[in-house]
Amino acid sequence: MLLLYFTLLVPFLFALLVPLLYRYMPRIHTGWFVLVVPTGIFIYMINLIPIIAKGEKLVNSVPWIPTLGINYSTYVDGLTLLFGLLISGIGALVVLYSIYYMSKQREALHNFYVYLLIFMGAMLGIAFSDNIFILYMFWELTSIASFLLIAYWYQRKQSRYGAQKSLIITVIGGLALLAGLILLSIMTNTFSIREMIEADQMIVKHQLFLPSMLLILLGAFTKSAQFPFHIWLPDAMEAPTPISAYLHSATMVKAGIYLVARFTPVFSGTIEWFWLVTGTGMITLLWGSFSAVKQNDLKAMLAFSTISQLGLIMCLLGIGSASLYASTAILAALFHLINHSTFKGCLFMVVGIVDHETGTRDIRRLGGLMNIMPITFTLMIIGSFSMAGLPPFNGFLSKELFFTGVLEAARLNIFHLETWGILLPILAWIASIFTFIYSMILVLKTFTGKYKPNKYEKKVHEAPLGMLISPIFLASLVILFFFFPNIISNNLLQPAMKAILPGLLEGGGFENNIKIWHGWTTEVFMTLGVAVVGMLLYISFPKWSGIYEYLPEKISFNYIYDRGLVGMEKLAAKITKTYMTGIVRDYLLYIFIFFVVVVGGSMVLLNNFTFNPSGNGPVSAYEVVLILVIIGAAVLVMLTKSRLTAVIGVGVIGFVVAMFFVIFRAPDLALTQLVVETVTVALFLLCFYHLPELGRETGGVGLRAANLIVSLGVGVLVTLLALTAQSNPLVDPISTFFENSYQLAGARNIVNAILVDFRGFDTMLEILVLSIAGLGVYSLIKLPLARRDNK
Amino acid sequence: MNNLVILPLLIPLLAGIFLVIFRQNILLQRWFSIVAIFSTGVVAAYLLQMVADDGIQTLAIGGWEAPFGIVLVIDMFSGLLILTTSIVSFGCILFAFNSIGLEREQFYFYPFMLFLITGVNGSFLTGDLFNLFVCFEVMLISSYVLISLGGTKVQLRESIKYVLINIMSSTMFLLGIAYLYAITGTLNMAHLSVRIAEVGQQGLLTTVAILFLVVFSLKAALFLYFWLPGSYAAPPTAIGAIFGALLTKVGIYALFRMFTLVFYHQPEITHLLLGVMAALTMLLGGIGAVSQWDIRKIIAYNVIIAVGFIVSGLAVFTSTAVAGGIYYLIHDMIVKALLFLLGGTIIGIAGTSKLKEMSGLIRNHPLLGWMFFITVLALAGIPPLSGFIGKVLVIKGTMEAEFYWLAVIGLLSSLMVLYSVMKIFVNGFWGETYLSKEQEKGTTSGLLFPCILLTMVSIGFGLGVEGITFYIDQAANGLMNPDIYIKAVLKSP
Repeated sequence: MLLLYFTLLVPFLFALLVPLLYRYMPRIHTGWFVLVVPTGIFIYMINLIPIIAKGEKLVNSVPWIPTLGINYSTYVDGLTLLFGLLISGIGALVVLYSIYYMSKQREALHNFYVYLLIFMGAMLGIAFSDNIFILYMFWELTSIASFLLIAYWYQRKQSRYGAQKSLIITVIGGLALLAGLILLSIMTNTFSIREMIEADQMIVKHQLFLPSMLLILLGAFTKSAQFPFHIWLPDAMEAPTPISAYLHSATMVKAGIYLVARFTPVFSGTIEWFWLVTGTGMITLLWGSFSAVKQNDLKAMLAFSTISQLGLIMCLLGIGSASLYASTAILAALFHLINHSTFKGCLFMVVGIVDHETGTRDIRRLGGLMNIMPITFTLMIIGSFSMAGLPPFNGFLSKELFFTGVLEAARLNIFHLETWGILLPILAWIASIFTFIYSMILVLKTFTGKYKPNKYEKKVHEAPLGMLISPIFLASLVILFFFFPNIISNNLLQPAMKAILPGLLEGGGFENNIKIWHGWTTEVFMTLGVAVVGMLLYISFPKWSGIYEYLPEKISFNYIYDRGLVGMEKLAAKITKTYMTGIVRDYLLYIFIFFVVVVGGSMVLLNNFTFNPSGNGPVSAYEVVLILVIIGAAVLVMLTKSRLTAVIGVGVIGFVVAMFFVIFRAPDLALTQLVVETVTVALFLLCFYHLPELGRETGGVGLRAANLIVSLGVGVLVTLLALTAQSNPLVDPISTFFENSYQLAGARNIVNAILVDFRGFDTMLEILVLSIAGLGVYSLIKLPLARRDNK
Repeated sequence: MNNLVILPLLIPLLAGIFLVIFRQNILLQRWFSIVAIFSTGVVAAYLLQMVADDGIQTLAIGGWEAPFGIVLVIDMFSGLLILTTSIVSFGCILFAFNSIGLEREQFYFYPFMLFLITGVNGSFLTGDLFNLFVCFEVMLISSYVLISLGGTKVQLRESIKYVLINIMSSTMFLLGIAYLYAITGTLNMAHLSVRIAEVGQQGLLTTVAILFLVVFSLKAALFLYFWLPGSYAAPPTAIGAIFGALLTKVGIYALFRMFTLVFYHQPEITHLLLGVMAALTMLLGGIGAVSQWDIRKIIAYNVIIAVGFIVSGLAVFTSTAVAGGIYYLIHDMIVKALLFLLGGTIIGIAGTSKLKEMSGLIRNHPLLGWMFFITVLALAGIPPLSGFIGKVLVIKGTMEAEFYWLAVIGLLSSLMVLYSVMKIFVNGFWGETYLSKEQEKGTTSGLLFPCILLTMVSIGFGLGVEGITFYIDQAANGLMNPDIYIKAVLKSP
């Protein structure tokens, strides 16, 4: 168990060492050190194969936040192991390849390998985690590592654009995934995926079942570049080619596939899951292969091809969710998953070699390299023909299985397949034709034709041996898997199928034997048809390539993304500008309006205005007069155009309030108020000397009317609330306690006792407030940095 | 009774007063204030452990028992906030050493900072509504002075707005206190809770509750945040950082306290209103953040988004959501301060805050760049960094309580946060490097250390979150069960 966790953490730990190795061992390419990591992990995983194939399951847990049930618990079954082998195996080959691809002199290798290792660790984490939050953590971490790797050459604008695009799309998916996982955890009351799978029967009827399915699928589709979220993948090709081969073809984009496979036991058997997964996969397959044909950049072509192949696998997983009837589909999906990694990895490396040696990836400039780069040419043939589904390569087998899968599905009579099912094999066949076409383009446009040396920036020659090792290795696997498919099938695919279809095992098992030749079946004729029609279309390509012109750019999803982003920012700026005026009067207006609406609204809705003057003293005539004076002075302040009058008005209000204190027999308060009032009026008058004339009120009648309504509203509301509160003393106040002030505090004046004893703490802090204000004014006058700077 | 309770307020207060006397001695100013903050933190940690072991600690000032005198109360929630305040202000003051400038230092910068912290800690400590008002005043008057200290044009322009709006809200606060006293006849919060529970929170009290909601929302920048982006962007970095990290949080604290301890009887009205306001805050704050291309503005709008997120935990009002809100509150105090400090450092180097005028800083400043990157991820709630656990608990709480709209907006807001802040990283740190080391407008010397410190705290908070779950649980538990607080304060069975 310890070894397992160590294996999973090694990439992260080693990432810490990389900068040191880069700095202190500059003579050895850092990649050689890094190579040890995936190789070691791969060997460890190989050792697990027999254990898992026996049907054993490794379950472990390391606590992180045990109080909240968030632990790094791992669960190793066939599916996990399959991904583990893929991640470490392809990882080792990619690192080996990168040693020759990434120049030791020119590139910031430490960054490159740190990101790569973080990615590797995160990807392993996705496959091995059983806790949904740990899964989510690694899920986001792969997005981030991918973001950093795409922008590895961060000086380039296109790299930054691609990085940001991939991050936005995958993070949207990540958040959806998080929401979906939380919903699942609410339904099943567990954070463990394994326990969720065991609870699947209980939750099908739950109202959150469908939302959680949709959210999790959104996460999977964005990550696996399914239509219409595929648009980030072509732009991700700005990353160095080893990264494209590793993340954006063999592993990271398969995280979505993994997720769908992992949650198949939870969601399968429902019509929504079947059609969403199958349909999206099929559309992606078609659209990806169709778009790949029109690309001029080899890498872009491979990107669209990857999108389409991911669609194929996704589609098979969807069909396989109707598992009781169509188990071939799952076998096909898993087998193609492996095959795709081998031939696509090989193709990416080959394209990288072409790019590296010729300085271009544009098929309009390439051509005639067959004799100059014979090994590369051979590798390209193996990869492309396998992708096109031709024998004797592994792609042929999985393509045949794919056809079997869709044909089986077409014969079913559940989920409306009796009417719509026939579409599946037809669309699959059409998509395979396009796949065939671009596979031919890859080989023929690059290597055949006439060699024109003046089109290349440098002298072209075959790649160094080191760079060829990895693709040669992958190409040999492509052939090996064709002849011995059942080694893979028995040891890897079968345990993985058990993980995806646990129910099927109880129902008597399934067929997982892959045969090279079945006789003259429909599938064989379909393949033959693909080859013939594909070849004809390839030859006549110049005649019909015009259809790509008809696709208006404005409905492409890239266009929508770009304009959407710009438009979103513009709209956001517009919205923000309309209310964030920077004018304090507006802000106060919003606040008062809000105050009137919510406080006044609650007052009206809860119907709680009451006024009960019975407990109040009588109102005498001179009190009325004083009130009228206050009102008059307040109106005067608002209407006057002279500052002096306004100040006098404010002063009048203050002095009249002091009079009220006198009437209510609080002479000390009255005195205080008089002093304060006198000082402020004097200060105001002093300041006037420096102030400009009072400007005219700006704004039209409408604005002024609105201001009037709002200010009246606030005033009325505050008054009504005060009257109501005054009329509703629910409990006796605690103030009777203070009437004993002489016994308690030795003071006959209650107010004084409260100020300096009972609540002396308040007073002390208020003194502090005054001192700060004084110091503040002093600093404001003495420290005008702006004026000094201007001198 | 525990006399130590007053120390988090008393230490910065006395230190500030002491430093006013020695205006010219800058070294003394610096080191005395940093030691004062450090010891406040130590005391806070000690008190926190006391609360964990023996329950809530109180101090009746002057020996006048509650509800007649003023009581200081430290429970787990306020204790955690005081400790976090000390950590954050430690970082900000350290940052000020090398950035605030000699002139401001000579004009009482450190005393004002200390008085600000006095007010903040006082607000967390007090168990009396009127005393809360007074502590708010201490905090606000210090902030008025700090925002205008130096008197540059933009500072003065923004401080006028800031001061006006805050005075207005203080007036409303005072009105609310008057109404509440007229109805219930008491000011002690625990006593208020008891009395309102006795007579029932009928219509009028709910209206008064909404009045307090408006008041504290103004302070917390919950929906009523118009004043914030301008005024937080105006002062120097160290001041902006402490504002962004602490001031709105005091408003949030007051909302949490009042709407769990006193006005918790009609959540279908008050807490729903809080939820709607939180949602609008996240949405509009997010829209504001993504629309900006100015570092200071982006950061300021990010303060607003987080306020909405934290309050949605309160609005849902279940123990999961409230606990999530507390996690996120503490995380946000640390990481917002960090964000301000890093942003200020970037602006210092580039000589501009406009993103379109800077590029490629990572070549010469990798450490700064990667710290910023980590901060971005922490802000967006990416595990295992500090924002994650709060985010998950708040979202889970909202979903469990079937506030799905709030959960959706909450998740959306973290996307907007990521987009807006990553924009700074992509445009500021990536791209061609224009400025050589010599051409840069400022240096990072002495500025990175406090940033590293806060980054470590943020990472530690994320990875080692298990170590504080006990405390947060107890804090949330205290908020969800007002009786614990009431018993500790009123001492009556």
